[in-house]
Amino acid sequence: MSSTRALKSRIRSVKSTKQITKAMQLVAASKMRKAQDAEKAMEPYTSAARELLTHLAAQGETDRHPLFQVPEKVRSRLLIVVGTDKGLAGAYDANVLKLYTKQLMEDEAAGIKNQTIAIGRRANRFVSRLKSVTVAAAYQDLPDDPSGTQLRAIVDTAIDAFNTGDIDVVDIVYTEFLSSVTQQATVRRILPAGFEKMAEVSEDVRTAEFEPSAEEVLEAVTYRLVEAQVYYYLLTARASEYIMRMLAMKNATDNANDLIDDLTLAMNKARQSAITQELAEISGGVEAMK
Amino acid sequence: MKFQLVTLTGTNTEQEVYEVILPTAAGEIAVFGGHEPLVTIAVPGAIAVRHTKGDADDRLEYFAIGGGVIEVTPESIKVLVDSADSADDIVESETKAALDRALKMRESAKDQVELEKASQLVDRHAVRLKVADLRRRRRRP
Repeated sequence: MSSTRALKSRIRSVKSTKQITKAMQLVAASKMRKAQDAEKAMEPYTSAARELLTHLAAQGETDRHPLFQVPEKVRSRLLIVVGTDKGLAGAYDANVLKLYTKQLMEDEAAGIKNQTIAIGRRANRFVSRLKSVTVAAAYQDLPDDPSGTQLRAIVDTAIDAFNTGDIDVVDIVYTEFLSSVTQQATVRRILPAGFEKMAEVSEDVRTAEFEPSAEEVLEAVTYRLVEAQVYYYLLTARASEYIMRMLAMKNATDNANDLIDDLTLAMNKARQSAITQELAEISGGVEAMK
Repeated sequence: MKFQLVTLTGTNTEQEVYEVILPTAAGEIAVFGGHEPLVTIAVPGAIAVRHTKGDADDRLEYFAIGGGVIEVTPESIKVLVDSADSADDIVESETKAALDRALKMRESAKDQVELEKASQLVDRHAVRLKVADLRRRRRRP
């Protein structure tokens, strides 16, 4: 009897775990959709900014702007590494941190000094354990939609370091959302600024007058495009995090189901054998009384 | 003329308007349909929108914006900004409290980063408060 009772309590505990993982799976799915919607929502902003920049680049304005200057030789690099605040997202953090470590080793081999901005609690913890790394800033618990001021702090740190010449290039290590089944840790350059040129610039932008000057407009647009890029990478990373968490939780739920099936079978068998044994004892007793 | 207010989090508003008054680096400018193509810089402040020609000044619609870029063409105005709030969405008492908090934060800021962040918040809430005030005046008989 004791074994059926033990099995019963195990089944109960697995069931409640399953409820939690199932709930987490659903939450992650809905959050992922939100992150993807936010990604789509920024499209009008970035395409307008890109159009202006394409036009200004054709005028040769971007060649003179400090944020577009490509250094002759890279001597120092700022890495922004995007991890999660919470675990249970499969190999998400492991992949990002592996790629990050690879970057660090490459830099060391090439004699490049580097600094790090860590985003997310997991990344913070990892980075703070590395003795050789200089941490420029650390952020955690960023909201799903990083509000202007928080985003600006990250972008400002990067741009300041770039402008003062402390840093030659700024790269971000994040998880790219390739499809709902593939997410890949990726490194992308943020500074010196680059952008995808628009194939066509509208007549209006081409003939427009720039006030106070093209240079100042460029300054304003470039800053915002860099900001938009960082925002985009953060959102993509979030979408990847949520889909990986969703899959991890789906697997956990499936495993819990399997476990419940196995345990139920074992419990039924134990109960059956207990009944059989009791019957045998009773009939044995009846036999003895004859 | 089409008026579009675009932020990183999406298109805030898109409507047919008669006149738009915009805060730029060189002061406020009023833009009507058929304006020469122009690209200029927006500073934090209030955008006022007149929907039809006959609208009086007390019928203007206000938006509080952060800094950004303004693109004017003869048929449209596109404003790319860091933040945008419609005057109708701003709760004056909350904004007042937020401004006070931001001011306190600016006073007690320990380093440059905090100071910068606090100053941005102060600017933002001051603009929002101004816009809320403009709307209240408009409502007065």
